Amino acid sequence: MTQTIKPRMSAKKRTSIVLHNALIAVLAFIWLIPIIWLVCTSFSAYDGINTSTFFPTQWSASHYVELFQVDTVNQFPTWFMNTFKIACASCVISTCFVLMVAYAMSFGKFKARKPLMNVAVMLNLFPGVLSMIAVYFTLRTFGLTNSHLGLTLVYSASAGLGYLICKGFFDTVPRALCEAARIDGCSEARIFWQIVIPTSRPIIVYTIINSFLAPWMDFVFAKMILNAGISANYTVAVGLYRMLDKSLINQYFTFFCAGGVLVSIPISALFFIMQKFYVEGITGGAVKG
Amino acid sequence: MKKIVSSIGGFFSAIGRFFGEFAEALAKGDAFVKLTLLWWGAGYVKRKQYAKALLMTLLEIAVIAFTFGFAMQYVPKFGTLGTVQAEQTFNIATMQTEWNDYDHSFLILLFSLFSFVVWAAALAVLMRNVVAVYRLQQQAERGGHINTFREDMHRYIEDKFHITLLSLPVLGITVFTVIPILLLIFVAFTNYDQQHMPPNSLFTWVGFANFKNLLGGGGMTATFGYAFARVLGWTLVWAFFATFTTYIGGIMLSMLLNSKKTRLPKLWRLLFVITIAVPQFVSLLLVRNFFSNGGIVNTFCANIGLTGFLRNAGLINTSYIPFLSAPGWAHVMIILINIWIGVPYQMLIATGVLMNLPADQLESASIDGASKWQSFRHITMPYLLFVTGPTLVTDFVKNINNFNVIYLLTQGVYTTTNQAMANSQAKEVDLLVTWLFTLTQDYYNYKMAAVIGIMVFLVCAVFTLVAFNFLISGNKEAEYQ
Repeated sequence: MTQTIKPRMSAKKRTSIVLHNALIAVLAFIWLIPIIWLVCTSFSAYDGINTSTFFPTQWSASHYVELFQVDTVNQFPTWFMNTFKIACASCVISTCFVLMVAYAMSFGKFKARKPLMNVAVMLNLFPGVLSMIAVYFTLRTFGLTNSHLGLTLVYSASAGLGYLICKGFFDTVPRALCEAARIDGCSEARIFWQIVIPTSRPIIVYTIINSFLAPWMDFVFAKMILNAGISANYTVAVGLYRMLDKSLINQYFTFFCAGGVLVSIPISALFFIMQKFYVEGITGGAVKG
Repeated sequence: MKKIVSSIGGFFSAIGRFFGEFAEALAKGDAFVKLTLLWWGAGYVKRKQYAKALLMTLLEIAVIAFTFGFAMQYVPKFGTLGTVQAEQTFNIATMQTEWNDYDHSFLILLFSLFSFVVWAAALAVLMRNVVAVYRLQQQAERGGHINTFREDMHRYIEDKFHITLLSLPVLGITVFTVIPILLLIFVAFTNYDQQHMPPNSLFTWVGFANFKNLLGGGGMTATFGYAFARVLGWTLVWAFFATFTTYIGGIMLSMLLNSKKTRLPKLWRLLFVITIAVPQFVSLLLVRNFFSNGGIVNTFCANIGLTGFLRNAGLINTSYIPFLSAPGWAHVMIILINIWIGVPYQMLIATGVLMNLPADQLESASIDGASKWQSFRHITMPYLLFVTGPTLVTDFVKNINNFNVIYLLTQGVYTTTNQAMANSQAKEVDLLVTWLFTLTQDYYNYKMAAVIGIMVFLVCAVFTLVAFNFLISGNKEAEYQ
């Protein structure tokens, strides 16, 4: 009896597995259509948007080459270097700030700790765009708009507010280790440098990548601060956005796609490294509040 | 709620303690402690801590210099925000046109605020100082050891290490977040807009007039009230759908991918994550052109006859499908595109959570004969909700402030035909934050932008309070475990 049923069951099971995987494949395909279009269009020989066919009628990699030949609108290499500089500088500052605040909030035993954490929660409820307007004026008063220093400060100065995920990780560092070090006469500063920092490598990697990515991903703040229309000052986001102006889109759409692909490759690579920490960070930080 | 109330209470009791210590020190301290109020170094000189006395004296001089050299140019005008209008006059002596010594309302506001913050910090330092000097006095009276300067400095890498760590980040947050927020709150009570732009003209305090305008009380800007109601409504609808569609979609996708039937789950996951690894300004701007009026999707729809069908059905009256350029269509498309961009994020999170799911519980459930649906309903779902519940709240707040999706998809594409909305520079698809951004960037209407910003804060704050209250009371049991 069982022998006759078994092959039938497995056949049913096999169809169910095939259907299951087919469903995933269809979904994945839908999710990837725009990305495929991006890559295909970037290899088009035509400058503007191809609105009649999905795949370009004539293939060519010429736009990748021309992307590095600077003209009045397209200054991709400069934008890339600008963004890279800003990202590095703000990454260093933000990472330091986040780690410092997270350590103080996790290991510190001072009276103002709780009140400070509550203030941070409240400040995080204000929309970033709101304070940006005032920051813009302040920077303008000091002549820091349209400068990369100003933009770096915007990205990194308030980074300390984003300490929660990192604090969540520090909270799990065994306290016994630190106590032992303290008994041996180790100063707080050395505990921070030589015990907590080395044991927290994953969260430090997460913080570094996260703060390095922010300037690459950001569009609003860059557009607000770099508003003078000097193309050589732009970051990648602002520059590529400008290529899609109504007057420029028909000459630069393929450049936009090629630039988009080139920017996405390094960012995706970093993102994939970060994603496993990302999940831990979000859920871990949330549970601990 | 209790947690939040107690934390607010804790905040005030901390302030109370601070003042209490100060009052006690002042009342019980000797003459030098009292003299410290006038000369910040006095108490330290008495205890022979000359280095500290010198530092404090220098700080005091700096504060005084700041007050009279800088703050006094601005703070006295804070009440009026300036009275002297900028004027150009022709100076016959130099044969040149010259500006008069005019008042710059914005600088007055900004630097007054800055002075207030500096003074508040100075006051706090002074009060801590008095307390510290009083402690020294007690120490001396007990015949205890008085720290040398080196020992005092050493404390900053020991028990006072948190001060060393926090000072720079807090300074950054004060300058780049706290002062800007306070400044914008002040601007909400002024008439700072295109007609009152410094340096050419002055602006001044107007009380609650802007709030009245926004809530529909004003005469000539009655449309603002209408636009605000529309935009707020859409913001909430958007935040609700954006949060829940991606949340549910993410859970479903992760269950699909984590199922035992899936072949090569890692590869599939990677394919979905590519979508979010591409920066939003690339992917969203691309999708916007994908769905534009003359875009490829429209060509495709026209070719298969969908456009003609919809036109015959009376759903559209254009030769194209206005995916992102007509109300209704745009609203639905924005939410759909947000699913595209948001589901992989939630999938990642849900996958992470599901992997930590207590496997023994599921196993014992299946041994007890629970069906798949039952174990999902009674084990997986409550666990997911418990772990990701707080994320749901923060996601909702993030979506209220989700600038990128709306701005990148609709800016320059969507133009409103609703006259009342257009009068207030709003669009049907605007969120409060994108409206605020347009008002400041294109129309210099800072007063209304500031009021809208305060409203966004209120909405977020009220929602967070209510939601956490609900979540915490709902999850007591789980928390207890």
